[in-house]
Amino acid sequence: MDFSELSHQGEIRDSLDKILLGHCTPENLKKFDAALKHDEDLLSLLASQGYLGLGINETYGGSGENLYDLGILFEKLGFHAAPLSLLGCLAEVAQTIQKFSEHESHQALISSILAGDIHTSAILEPLNQDPENPLTRAQINGDQLTITGTKYLSELASISKSLLVSVNSDEGVLLVLVDTHQTNISELATTANTPTFKVDFEDITINRSAIIHAHGRGLEALRYLLQTSMVMRSYLALGITEKMTALIAAYTSEREQFGRVIGSFQAVSHRAADCFIDLECLRLVSQQAAINLNTNLDCENDALVAKIWAGNACHRISYSAQHLHGGVGVDKDYVLWRYCLLAKECELINGSASQNIDRLGLNITANQ
Amino acid sequence: MPIEDEILVVEMLIQLSPKQAKLKAELQEYFEGLITPALKSELNDPNHFEGGGPEFKKAMRTMGVDGWIGLSWKKELGGKELSPIEQYIFVETVMRTGFPFPFLTTESVGPMIAEHGSDWAKEEIATKILKGELFFGIGYSEPNSGTDLASLQTKAIKDADGYLINGQKMWTSLANVSDYIWLAARTDFEAKNHKGISMFIVPTDDPGFSMTAINTLGDVRTNATFYDNIRVPETHLVGQPNQGWSLITSQLNLERLALVNHGPVEELYKNVLKLAATTKINNDQYLTDLSWVKNNFAQVYSGIEALKLICWKQTWIMESGHLNMAEASVAKVYGSEFFIQAYRLLMEIMGELSLLKNDSELSILNAKLERIYRTASILTFGGGTNEVQRDIIAMAGLLMPRTR
Repeated sequence: MDFSELSHQGEIRDSLDKILLGHCTPENLKKFDAALKHDEDLLSLLASQGYLGLGINETYGGSGENLYDLGILFEKLGFHAAPLSLLGCLAEVAQTIQKFSEHESHQALISSILAGDIHTSAILEPLNQDPENPLTRAQINGDQLTITGTKYLSELASISKSLLVSVNSDEGVLLVLVDTHQTNISELATTANTPTFKVDFEDITINRSAIIHAHGRGLEALRYLLQTSMVMRSYLALGITEKMTALIAAYTSEREQFGRVIGSFQAVSHRAADCFIDLECLRLVSQQAAINLNTNLDCENDALVAKIWAGNACHRISYSAQHLHGGVGVDKDYVLWRYCLLAKECELINGSASQNIDRLGLNITANQ
Repeated sequence: MPIEDEILVVEMLIQLSPKQAKLKAELQEYFEGLITPALKSELNDPNHFEGGGPEFKKAMRTMGVDGWIGLSWKKELGGKELSPIEQYIFVETVMRTGFPFPFLTTESVGPMIAEHGSDWAKEEIATKILKGELFFGIGYSEPNSGTDLASLQTKAIKDADGYLINGQKMWTSLANVSDYIWLAARTDFEAKNHKGISMFIVPTDDPGFSMTAINTLGDVRTNATFYDNIRVPETHLVGQPNQGWSLITSQLNLERLALVNHGPVEELYKNVLKLAATTKINNDQYLTDLSWVKNNFAQVYSGIEALKLICWKQTWIMESGHLNMAEASVAKVYGSEFFIQAYRLLMEIMGELSLLKNDSELSILNAKLERIYRTASILTFGGGTNEVQRDIIAMAGLLMPRTR
């Protein structure tokens, strides 16, 4: 058993902190509150320094196929509230193609992503509780697939060159790449102002070569995509809750009432301590899931446990932070409000804690 | 991006190494052989839940002969000098069996005496502890000294013949079956609280020693013990005079970790899951077909995963020679509070059957659920109350100001 980080991981952590700290200043973050929350400059910077290759095989110029590395990136993006939504692109599209595609044309897409292009996913559907069973259909006619359906919460679809889409067909679940121009896209306004889109597929015709995986491996690839997404979102949640806990510690160590800093009241310090405990739990279950997914493409229970903790930690730490900051916490001139909104988003996407508890319960009571 | 020229194979593994897994398997097999039906039935007797019975003593002697006592002791003192992770695996395996292994005697008091005791103590006491022939009760708490242990008032006055001891201790578990008490007493009345305490080996057959039983919610007997003009020679002092506090605190992290070991709760989870999956309810359904039952199991499962990782990480930190106070306290608080929650969720699953006692018709799982919830509450305040642990987390983990 070994919890030590490889030497390059500590360096990644430190350099990412430096870059993001310089870039995600309050002024800079403010610029994106009313615009499309996507910082092109930051993305180019990360691309030029190779950070988009974390978790990607060396043959593409990446750091190696290790989701722990990619987790560090999402943790740091969360910690600095970076105006970049890269889960669809880096965790879902790049990782799934890397693991399941044997086509050179699909693999070229990974190089494109490393260069800073967006290729995102379109997986979730309104009111579909079971993403492994898409309502979006592909009608197969020889070499042609005709796709009909609606996806939503697709990150950055408006600037994405292509979309990785999950569909059901007579051949079961398929993951296919679709040219974004063939679809109808409309922007959704979400609580944290994350740039997500609704994507309509109205009898779009694509070639069979757009299927990214070997025949019969669609469900396996989709399950891997969903699990990787859950785990990387847990890392995003880890960064967000780490920052909120740090804000609690700093603020309550300074703010004075009744002639002493409020952090010296047990009622306050103990609530902060509970945040620290949640944070430690979230960190460890996320790391376990990432490490296990490295060697086993199906670790659903580990991924569920990570996302359950992420959901609960996001909720509890966010409200503790709000409460312990008093009015300062809701003031938009202070930093906390952005984190609270991001926390709510992380809590609910990729399955809420209650939903994932339900799923985990099904898994562990099956085959008893 | 700082990337090494040659990327190493992913080495990080959060699981037992082959060597550690082998130790676990070896221990499992050993305990299966050790725990005879006679011992099992003795351990069901409320008087012997926590050990001290004849079958228990027999098993301890066997373990002594087989070299399974003294795991944390240095090799030169006759121990196995296992690493913290290996010790954790030992604790885990023992606790899964339910055998009340006397960790405090063998792994806390024993190595302290072997290292800091007088020649007499090393030869007479330490050796016999290693052989499984000798047991200690722990004399720390007093009626007015619990969480604030350093305020203890039991006195040991030095004179020409040794020390004269007077006072009272509370919660002296196992005193009724022990040969000695590991006693903390005040030897300097001028010094600051924790600087005037010394540690003594006090025989329970001294005429000045007496006790009254305290019967607890969990049916576990503990004791109030009384020390009335007990005279011990200087050889019964362990360590330097007035340096007892460092002995008391030296192994607290390992002791706390042993309290919240994930083994027993995982064992219970597995047993309840197995039972629920074969328990038929109305309409030919099984208990595990009910959605709320599944949810309860899932909550326990996700909690155990976190507990396991916290404990493993803590042993890994100890192994690397570092000490992280905040993380040790995280383990204690999270573990002890999770147990309460987990037992509740598991009891809910079996419903009213969880209320039936061991000797009752229809009782389930040896009434483990019925009893465990009665014993669980002591862990949130015992072993360093959780309020103090949270103070430590806020100070050491979040660098917040000291609370008052």
